[in-house]
Amino acid sequence: MHLLPGFEYYEPKEISEACKLLSELKASAKIIAGGTDILVNMKKGLLIPRYLVGISRVPGLNGIEPENGGISIGSHLIVAKLVEFEIIRKKYSLLSKAAAVLGSPLIRNRATIGGNIITARPAADLPSPLLAMGARVKLKNKRGEREVSLDAFFKGPGQTVIKPDEIMTKIVIDEAPPFTGGDYLKLMHRRSLEIAIVAVATRITLDGPNGLVKDARIILSAVAPRAIHAASAEKALIGERPTVKLFEKAAAIASTECTPIDDIRGGAEYRCAMVEILTKRTLTTACKEAKGK
Amino acid sequence: MKKLITLTINKRSYELAVAPNKTLAQVLREELNLPGTKIGCGIGDCGACTVILDGRTVNSCLVLAVQANGSEITTIEGVAEGQNLHPVQQAFVDHGAIQCGFCTPGMVLSAKNLLDRNPRPTESQIREALSGNLCRCTGYQKIVEAVRAASGAAKK
Amino acid sequence: MKKYSIINTRLQRVDARAKVTGDARYTDDLSMPDMLYGALLQSPLAHARIEKIDTSKAKKLFGVSEVVTAEEAGLVKFGVSPARYDETIFCSDKVRYIGDEIAAVAAVDLETALEAISMIKVDYEELPPLLDAFDAIREGAPAIHDDFPNNIGAEVHQEFGDVEEAFKTCDYVRTDKFINKKQDGAFLEPQSCVAVYDFNGNLTLYTSTQSPHYVQRTLAMVLGLPIGKVRVIKPYVGGGFGPKAAANTLELAACLLSIRTGRPVKMTFTREQVFWHSRARHQFFHELTTGVKKDGTLVALKNTCYLDGGAYSSFGIATIYYAGSLLGAPYKLPNMKYDGYRIYTNKPANGAQRGHGGVAARAAWEQQLDIIAGELGMDPVDFRLKNIMQKGDVTCNDFNMSSLGMKECLEAVKNDSGWTKKKGKLPKGKGIGVACGFFVSGAGFPIYRSETFHATAMIKVSEDGGTVNLYTASAEIGQGSDTILTQIAAEALGVRYDDVRISSGDTDFGIDLGAYSSRQTLMSGHAVKQAAENVKQQILEVLSGKLKIPIQDMDIKGGVIIFKKGKVDFSGLRANYIKEHRGWTDPPAGDYLTFTEAARIAYLEKGVVVGGGAYKPGELGGKYKGAAVGTSPAYGCSAQVVEVTVDMETGKVTVDNMTDAHDCGFAINRTNVEGQMQGSLSMGLGEALFEEIKFDNKGRVINPTFGEYRIPTSLDMPNVKTIIIESDEPNGPFGAKEVGEGAIMPTIPAILNAIYDAAGVRISELPVTSERVFMALKKNKK
Repeated sequence: MHLLPGFEYYEPKEISEACKLLSELKASAKIIAGGTDILVNMKKGLLIPRYLVGISRVPGLNGIEPENGGISIGSHLIVAKLVEFEIIRKKYSLLSKAAAVLGSPLIRNRATIGGNIITARPAADLPSPLLAMGARVKLKNKRGEREVSLDAFFKGPGQTVIKPDEIMTKIVIDEAPPFTGGDYLKLMHRRSLEIAIVAVATRITLDGPNGLVKDARIILSAVAPRAIHAASAEKALIGERPTVKLFEKAAAIASTECTPIDDIRGGAEYRCAMVEILTKRTLTTACKEAKGK
Repeated sequence: MKKLITLTINKRSYELAVAPNKTLAQVLREELNLPGTKIGCGIGDCGACTVILDGRTVNSCLVLAVQANGSEITTIEGVAEGQNLHPVQQAFVDHGAIQCGFCTPGMVLSAKNLLDRNPRPTESQIREALSGNLCRCTGYQKIVEAVRAASGAAKK
Repeated sequence: MKKYSIINTRLQRVDARAKVTGDARYTDDLSMPDMLYGALLQSPLAHARIEKIDTSKAKKLFGVSEVVTAEEAGLVKFGVSPARYDETIFCSDKVRYIGDEIAAVAAVDLETALEAISMIKVDYEELPPLLDAFDAIREGAPAIHDDFPNNIGAEVHQEFGDVEEAFKTCDYVRTDKFINKKQDGAFLEPQSCVAVYDFNGNLTLYTSTQSPHYVQRTLAMVLGLPIGKVRVIKPYVGGGFGPKAAANTLELAACLLSIRTGRPVKMTFTREQVFWHSRARHQFFHELTTGVKKDGTLVALKNTCYLDGGAYSSFGIATIYYAGSLLGAPYKLPNMKYDGYRIYTNKPANGAQRGHGGVAARAAWEQQLDIIAGELGMDPVDFRLKNIMQKGDVTCNDFNMSSLGMKECLEAVKNDSGWTKKKGKLPKGKGIGVACGFFVSGAGFPIYRSETFHATAMIKVSEDGGTVNLYTASAEIGQGSDTILTQIAAEALGVRYDDVRISSGDTDFGIDLGAYSSRQTLMSGHAVKQAAENVKQQILEVLSGKLKIPIQDMDIKGGVIIFKKGKVDFSGLRANYIKEHRGWTDPPAGDYLTFTEAARIAYLEKGVVVGGGAYKPGELGGKYKGAAVGTSPAYGCSAQVVEVTVDMETGKVTVDNMTDAHDCGFAINRTNVEGQMQGSLSMGLGEALFEEIKFDNKGRVINPTFGEYRIPTSLDMPNVKTIIIESDEPNGPFGAKEVGEGAIMPTIPAILNAIYDAAGVRISELPVTSERVFMALKKNKK
């Protein structure tokens, strides 16, 4: 298992060069970012690309910059920086919370935000908080650039709408409205090096410091082929006063909205039950945070 | 086809021709005769292959050598200065933090990198920083005590 | 207890600096000129007959030097115990598990070797795989091994006292079942070896092993090499824990390839292959019936155990006995019946792993004892204190507790953990639990019937007097044996720690059965002590002759000669030494004659100053069948208190605190003893909460990675309090006995008992995942 198959490696210097390369190589080429997912799959013999294209050093893909009041994050920003950068910790804390429990410190120093999205693993840590924050991704190819809402990005395990010649360049998150709070809870066996048994990302916006729920996002992961909204649970919260009873009600609804399987990390019955617990807990924390703002 | 790359390892510059499918761990062990970096699993689950790459600890089994072109790398062989152990190494020795020693290179580098960034970590921060390095022998107890001691913290 | 200068200290490990700088060379770090790389062809099927193997294409691949199958390897059977030699290097007639070895290739590099492997064509006739132990013993199940048509590879029936009669006298009898899962040693360093067959017909194998001796014997026997032509050298080893205690196909294949190619051959397992090879913790299905009097006195135990053994026997013939015998202590138990069945299944073979067959049995029984104590309204610590054995007691199965600090261990953890303040007073979701355990200090008998010494040692003092060279075939695998043997040598001879240089793990240095059954401190320690005392005697004899002083009026301590009866004029000896070292700028000076000078003088007199030591246990108890497994010159024991938090909604168990007391007789190195305790607790915690090998319905291991076979990380282990108890074992060197395996025994049940205290549920199936606890809590609510 431990040897990599042979491949050619390209390291284009500019984004335009990268786009041109991908348009030529198409499906026989894969972008390698942090490598923590793709190289594992190559070593296991699950993936045998003929070409790997590394664009970590291409300018514009590694930093963060303001965009329309929100933030634009380069797709190759490493996960560790999502925890280290103060602006993300303070204004996009849901993303920091999830980033902090991804893999291990060693993995976080290589894995990228773009990589964690594009691999489209049902139990991945970053898609669900990004969905809860209504994030969008920018996809660029030789012909131009398009923006896709993350809600429309995932099709299934390992499947997204990205085309073989497209490169994900940025992840854009709008500024959160006032009185917004969020939480991410990941149920794991150990406390590090874990893929979620179940995870819930919740974002609540109130219409005032002690107001009613104006907006609610409850994203469940590891319980369906891709991260999903607990849409009925979200609806049940809108316009209501945020109380413990309300959270319990929404949590109970959320647990009926997932279709988990029995797999190596846990059984379906347990996962549904945990959706309820984690939804209730994240709602409680998100609301507390929302009131504090 | 092999690519010509330059790696600065433990402050020495190496110019090498490497196949794209060689990991940094393989190049260190097989081409450069620096076998202090160990392979425990090959897929990033254990941390035995930890090196410091451009200031960050990484699993070198998941870094292509070609990706490290132009980078600065510290392996376990570069931590001591001549016969003088780094304070982290000395603390490991003094506190019995080493048993079979296979996780030790990775642990030392993770601990060193922690203290370089955060000279006075709490115990929780120490455990967090080491949470990508598995050890089967020690139960981590004396490793954590060693890192605390190396940071200058008073004994508990 | 006597005060020593070198032992009972916290001296730095002799190998610490090499390991912490990356200087230590493990087997896969070795490289030889003109070395080839080997790879194995392993079965993709759990059970099949081999119709045909076609290696022709593989042989022709450019860069391939040799391809071997059973045809070249032969069919000499091997295993661990001669009574159960049931393996051949390669499969010839059938494959018995996914991973079973069929062929090997040596090539210029690993890529080529692996490509050649993929070119070997095997025609199989698939047979129904037996993946469940109980299916394997059902009427009509196919035989996995022809010699065992009912798939029961070993069967044990023992009774001490009369259990049925004893139950009649009991006030309370209860039966409980318990199962664990197949687990893995999960050492960080995969097995690896480099075989070198030279042009003089000498075979040298460098290998990551716990027992160079057992590997050497197996190589010679299976490969048909003349005795004396096989040498096994153990480089640094990255952990063993049991699975590395016997020879494996990797080693045999590499040697065969080296013999046939005339070049060095390196072979290293991937992590996946380590899981396939296994030879690790068995799965045990226990049913225990225990009877007590209403005042808490233990009366009788009936223990039935089915062991899922996997495809081959490995250490299983010992495991099956330990699963019964290791409940004979540390409590007074006059009646014990044990029926054990080790079953062959088409899964990777199980063998020995830290604590061997005693871990699951101890977990099952200590939890049951807690239930019983609860039924009787007794505090679990008091219940145990009431029943524990004392020094001098003998178990019903003839284990002699020549020392036993069980009471001290139990009281220590009770006091240190704050048991009395906490038990019964913690809020819901928080709990505290206790358990005890014991283990052998070395198996009383070698794995092959023999009168061999269990350990020999040689000490040669360098001719210049400056270094004491200690040669031992014992295996340092991380547990610290090199360090403590150096300490024992220095203490017994009277020199300084730094004066001794140990060379170990090489079969050229003598006999040592290796690092398993927690034997080296006691057994290798005895041999080293003897060798050191022998050398001391020789040197003092020479001095006695030269200085005309009786030997008993002299001693060696701290690297100098001690004259017990007043001042002695040794100036003549010193003058000779200085005359021989003209030009040196640091002549010996001061009031004491140094060891270096004395050793030099002894050399000049004798020519060679070499001392030997050899140890084997004396007559050990038990004349019944199977008495050999479990008898030991000494027994270590331990007690543990664990505190947990159970999240009552998710079922997640967090271990907050562990307090462990272990009686190691006498700690040669206190730091090392603590380290072994902490490591044992970590493995116990992992086995309790996370670890299990999972199979699909074809018999494939589906979690052969450290990502899905979960050992504790630094965030999963709490701080552990270790208390060393020293009961001064009369059969141990300086009073020392084991710690390496005994300390794991109470861990799993202490956690289980704490979980019950916190959440009110008894879990009788490992691992205790959050899902398992959740389901138990749910059931409890109904």
